[in-house]
Amino acid sequence: MNFFKRKKSFQAASPKSKNLSEWLSALSDGNEDFMEEIIETPYGNIKICYYTTLIDHQRLNVDFLQPLKTTPWRTYKDIQRNIYVDDTAVTNDIPTTNERLLQGFAACQLPDRKEEVLLINAPADVQREVSIPETEFSVIGPQEAFVEKLETNIFLIRKRLPIEDLRIRKLKIGTLSSTETAVFYIDGIADQENVNTIIQRLKEVNFDDVLGANALAQMIQDHSYTVFPQFVNTERPDRVAASLAEGKVVFMSNGSPQAIIGPSTLVELFSSLEDYYLPWHIASFVRMLRLFSVGFSILATPVYVAVLTYHYEMIPKDLLSTLIASRSNIPFPPLIEALFLEFTIELLREAGARLPTKVGQTIGIVGGIVIGQASVEAGLTSNILLIVVALAALASFTTPVYQMGNTVRIIRFPFIVMSAMFGAIGIALMLAFVIAHLIRLESLGRPYLAPFYPLRFTDWKDTFVRLPYNMFQQRPQQMRPKSKARKKASKTQKNKDIDE
Amino acid sequence: MHSKVKEQFQVSPPMVFFLIHAMQVGVGMLGFQRIVAKYSGYDSWIAVLIAGVLISILISMMYFVLKTNHNDIIEIHRNLFGKWAGGVLSLIIILYFYALGILVIRTYIEVIQVWVFEDMPTWILALLAGYFFYYVIEGGFRTVTGLCVAGVFIPSILFFVLLMPLQYADFLNFLPVWKHSVKNILLGARETTLTYLGFELLLLFYPFIKDGQRSQKWAQLGHWASVFVYTLLMFVTLSFFSEGQLDMTIWPTLTLLKVIEFPFIERFEYLGISLWLIIVIPNIAMAFWGASRGVKRLFSIKQRYVIIVMMIVMVFILPPLDNRQAVNTLNDIISQIGFWVIVAYITFIYIVQFIVQKIGRKRSS
Repeated sequence: MNFFKRKKSFQAASPKSKNLSEWLSALSDGNEDFMEEIIETPYGNIKICYYTTLIDHQRLNVDFLQPLKTTPWRTYKDIQRNIYVDDTAVTNDIPTTNERLLQGFAACQLPDRKEEVLLINAPADVQREVSIPETEFSVIGPQEAFVEKLETNIFLIRKRLPIEDLRIRKLKIGTLSSTETAVFYIDGIADQENVNTIIQRLKEVNFDDVLGANALAQMIQDHSYTVFPQFVNTERPDRVAASLAEGKVVFMSNGSPQAIIGPSTLVELFSSLEDYYLPWHIASFVRMLRLFSVGFSILATPVYVAVLTYHYEMIPKDLLSTLIASRSNIPFPPLIEALFLEFTIELLREAGARLPTKVGQTIGIVGGIVIGQASVEAGLTSNILLIVVALAALASFTTPVYQMGNTVRIIRFPFIVMSAMFGAIGIALMLAFVIAHLIRLESLGRPYLAPFYPLRFTDWKDTFVRLPYNMFQQRPQQMRPKSKARKKASKTQKNKDIDE
Repeated sequence: MHSKVKEQFQVSPPMVFFLIHAMQVGVGMLGFQRIVAKYSGYDSWIAVLIAGVLISILISMMYFVLKTNHNDIIEIHRNLFGKWAGGVLSLIIILYFYALGILVIRTYIEVIQVWVFEDMPTWILALLAGYFFYYVIEGGFRTVTGLCVAGVFIPSILFFVLLMPLQYADFLNFLPVWKHSVKNILLGARETTLTYLGFELLLLFYPFIKDGQRSQKWAQLGHWASVFVYTLLMFVTLSFFSEGQLDMTIWPTLTLLKVIEFPFIERFEYLGISLWLIIVIPNIAMAFWGASRGVKRLFSIKQRYVIIVMMIVMVFILPPLDNRQAVNTLNDIISQIGFWVIVAYITFIYIVQFIVQKIGRKRSS
């Protein structure tokens, strides 16, 4: 039964030779960027090997070779004491050496100590500057976003939460990429069950090349067959800090500038961090506007299709004449008309996203004005539908979390098809289906539709509206935080009569 | 065979409010006024209230039986009547629930066919419904409960809209109060009882409530919310229609919706019927959930298989029931069975349980 046998997975570190120095010299065979050289110093010769591409040469020269040539030494210990590099280690273990070399360490070897090497940390540092957030821009609030380098990101988070209870657990994921992944949580607030779940699932990921945090989020999510994102993904350190303070668990991967926050609920995917920077009335207004616009974005075109296909009696007679006038020349049924326009808008959006910014703007103008106007004049679509579709597209851009925006974008199509088949009943059925689906969804085993179902009225303070901060006495129940109170209730404010 | 429901599948006591309320408000609400008014005329609202009190008593009877047993009706039957007699009784209850689900779905399809799509074939809707309810029930009791919550909240706008016909109301209709005989009002109350049906599913989902004993107040509250809605709707209907006109209107609620006009939308009943789907879905889902759960408890078959079979059978049962006559007959039959099964049977089981407990107490002392 060999046929069913699993193929052996690729092993990254498979040292064939047992001897360390033999193994080192063998490395340069296939890797042309692997260097092996003998350095001559007044106190003796020393062999040094490293991947030239992974090493910061200036640092190696200044911090290692200079002191080596000027100060006397005899053993590894002397060298460690003399050089200006902190992160050093003496080892005889081949896998460790291999791993370190690939992280940007240099290995040096004394001629009389063949079985051991001294590892010196001098990694080349290619790094983007911390820049302003692009997908989650906010008008007020901090203007910094995560970068690709994990250390920098940890620094950004640590700076916002300077407490020792902020715990960071590091894991290596991916048999080929061995992506460094860090899990963040605040000990004493976060529910340990959530932390365990996320670490457990991350450990179980058995994939060769893990592309980063977003790919990992898809690998560990509760339901893979849904269009709804089950984690919030953010590029803002302030959002991560706020989520950690609520008792959530966050993970980030080296190489991707996004943090994944879980467990998340549907409402969080529609909340932007700016809601917390603005005064609460304005924040609530904006949030309701956003939720309304999501509903509008999903339902506007289906309602148009349903009403014009089946329920034209629903249109008041004053509006009916305008509608008839705009549709009288159109040869298609409303479904084709709507699909055509929706498709065009999606096309423009995709083209705009793929092209460089400056060209993208041109595409927007060409698409928005020329195609829209031309298709109306050519009698392919009615201008009322054009308004509806354009507004729906605009409304879908208001979702602050990019993944959720995509969901809103895609979920409209089954609605349109159902509305063309069963009219208003079809829309209602589809709505019921989405509700049932959302009720069934979970994020890290926690209900996705909370606090609406299960009903937790105390958590409603931060859903449709964002109430003032003095209502935020407690952390959301959804996370089952270990310590519930967010602030100490001040007694002075209570029960004061007029003029007291 | 004592099986306790794991806590992760249970719902909190306040959810009973939604479960009871969502089950009671359903397709019945579209057309109960005519049938009640046939007996009690303009005094029908009194009949609705009397039936409300009656059902409230039945709910506390049910709680008495359930509390003493701490289990669902299948187990109670087995305890009280033994394996065979109890099994037969359970089977009747299960069949009743299944038929209730079929009835509700068929009535709703009829409404669609009469009011929205005249030539919509039943089998398409049956097929869609079959898949949908399989998906819902596969999610377990918590999903069904979630739909009940959604089914109470989302269509609640309709409730306010239904008050709008009051601008044409003639309140003199109600005077003099109580002009019908007691007998007629009680007959009206009997008919109203049927629209309140659905709460009896409590007999099956009781073990799914965390702290079941403490949930009675929520059940009563849910029931009285239904009584409030029904009474108010009856009030609006009676003030709007004349007795003769009401007698000829099969779905007075939909006719009421038809009257409503907004500057941006006419023929409001299309929207109403579509939104009614959200009200009707928990009804059907609960009934099918109850039936399949009953089979699982009775025969120890996996509920997943039971519900698949039930849905397939439904898809074949629905299309032949294709005219008003058939639907009406089905309605009458199930209503009669429902009345006897629920009103008489709950009282019966209450008395039996009461006697058994008395005897048990005497023996122990």
